[in-house]
Amino acid sequence: MSDVLLTIEKLSVMYGDFIAVEEASLTVDEGQIVSLIGLNGAGKTTLMSAVMGLHKPASGKVVFNGKDITSAHTDRIVAQGLSLIPQGGRCFNRMSVQDNLLMGSFPKTARKGAKETLAHIYELFPVLKEKMRDPAGSLSGGQRQMVAIGRALMARPKCLIFDEISLGLSPAVIKDIYHRIRTINELDKTAVILIEQDTRRALRMSDSFYVMLKGRTVLSGKSDEVDAETLKDAYFGI
Amino acid sequence: MLKRKFTPSHVKVLDSPPMLILCIVLAVGLYIGCFAGLISNKAMRYLVQIFLYITMGEMWNLLSGYAGMTSLGQQLYIGLAGYSVAMATSPLFGLPLFGALLLGAGISVVVSLFMSLILFRLEGMYFSIATLVAAEAFCMLFFAWKFVGQGAGMTIRINPYPTLQEICILSMTICVVALALVYGLLRTRVGLGLTAMRDDITSAASVGVNIFSHKLLVYVIAAFFTALAGGIFFVNKGMIYPDSGFGISWTISMVFIAIIGGTGTVSGPIIGAIIYVFLNEKLADYPGWSNIILGTITILVILFLPNGIMGTLQKKLHFEIFSSKRFSFKLKKAAKEK
Repeated sequence: MSDVLLTIEKLSVMYGDFIAVEEASLTVDEGQIVSLIGLNGAGKTTLMSAVMGLHKPASGKVVFNGKDITSAHTDRIVAQGLSLIPQGGRCFNRMSVQDNLLMGSFPKTARKGAKETLAHIYELFPVLKEKMRDPAGSLSGGQRQMVAIGRALMARPKCLIFDEISLGLSPAVIKDIYHRIRTINELDKTAVILIEQDTRRALRMSDSFYVMLKGRTVLSGKSDEVDAETLKDAYFGI
Repeated sequence: MLKRKFTPSHVKVLDSPPMLILCIVLAVGLYIGCFAGLISNKAMRYLVQIFLYITMGEMWNLLSGYAGMTSLGQQLYIGLAGYSVAMATSPLFGLPLFGALLLGAGISVVVSLFMSLILFRLEGMYFSIATLVAAEAFCMLFFAWKFVGQGAGMTIRINPYPTLQEICILSMTICVVALALVYGLLRTRVGLGLTAMRDDITSAASVGVNIFSHKLLVYVIAAFFTALAGGIFFVNKGMIYPDSGFGISWTISMVFIAIIGGTGTVSGPIIGAIIYVFLNEKLADYPGWSNIILGTITILVILFLPNGIMGTLQKKLHFEIFSSKRFSFKLKKAAKEK
């Protein structure tokens, strides 16, 4: 059995009086791909931003790589090796592609091998090398998504969180990006959390899955063992 | 033609030693001119204003143009500094000018630390409005405070009162220090984090920029220098009342200076301040119209030169004076190595 990398224990997040996430629990093993699926507003993004320290959780515990990172500052969490790729391929639009990528090695821990990592990223996404001097804002949606992925990789994470990477992209581009996520996972043994709405694609990619509904993790299991009916019931809350 | 778009490799960065020497020569020349009395009083009066407005504009530019914190309430620190100087140098306390200025700046730093607790919970528009409200609240406080003369304000009585020459030298020093600090700060890792924050705050956080500490640092630095400049402004003016200290007109001038010159450029506010001071002088003959004219100019600039004068020039002619971009340099070096 591989070691546990990330454990989320009964995490709750509130927006004022509104409970966005209620006692959600999740485990990611080293080198594993885990998908987190659910409807709009189920609390997937909120859960992950709470893990990253972008929101303060109301209660619960997050342990990453043996360390308690609950309510830690985001920069500390990134330095520990947990990176998030925000929804919608958000780049630093006025910076060049190369600057965007180099921004990824902002944490002190990531700067040592920045040059090699950069070369590795250009190998992974050759298109970015061609456009390295263009402002990131001039790129297409798919390319911006690649910049965002590359930027997260620059921090040499042990675990990467992809927040709805397929949002607003054409099927061909999505397929391409998913292929590369697989490569990242296999080559560097980086654990991956996929936040997805497309259940079928997410299950095909991942080792295990979690379904969120109305702020709770209602179902989890191995991706290849789940039957469609149970999944559908959990997904829609029937 | 389409291929000639903006790329860092095309940009010529004017930061070579000759450029630096030119700047130093210019500054030293002005210093000597002031000390030796070669500059007429009229010119010095202009210079004092230009230096102070450059400092304030540069600080506003750092806040809004780089850190993405559009404050409409920097006059809070100008007013606080003005009143601190007026009170501390009054016969009752009798502090010397230097002590009073530093006291004003120190009080501003303390207040800015306190304000940050409240203000940093807000973002964007809400932050802007809250800063404005904070300044207005302090304005009301000083209106009601008997010791500072309520609405009638205070006359500044420093003993001995500094001459115009001394004020000019002082404001120039602060301006030079502020410029050097802004440039230096932007060239460091902190500056990089700030630029990233301006483009996308969530992404900046997810690559490991500590948003809070970056914001706090910039906000406190801006408060400190804005207060110093404000303090000297009122020493030059000789009196202060709540509306002149905490009035919204300060924000109007800072926004004008930064936008006309070009937000997000270090050299922009310098051009902006020079234009503003001269316009202000010319428009003094048309009271009531002056703000309308300034507003019209601002709108026209936003419409036709959205990057401001310096920003547009830099884009059109592909140059940058003392670029704060670090990675472009790395690229250049890498290209040379090849």
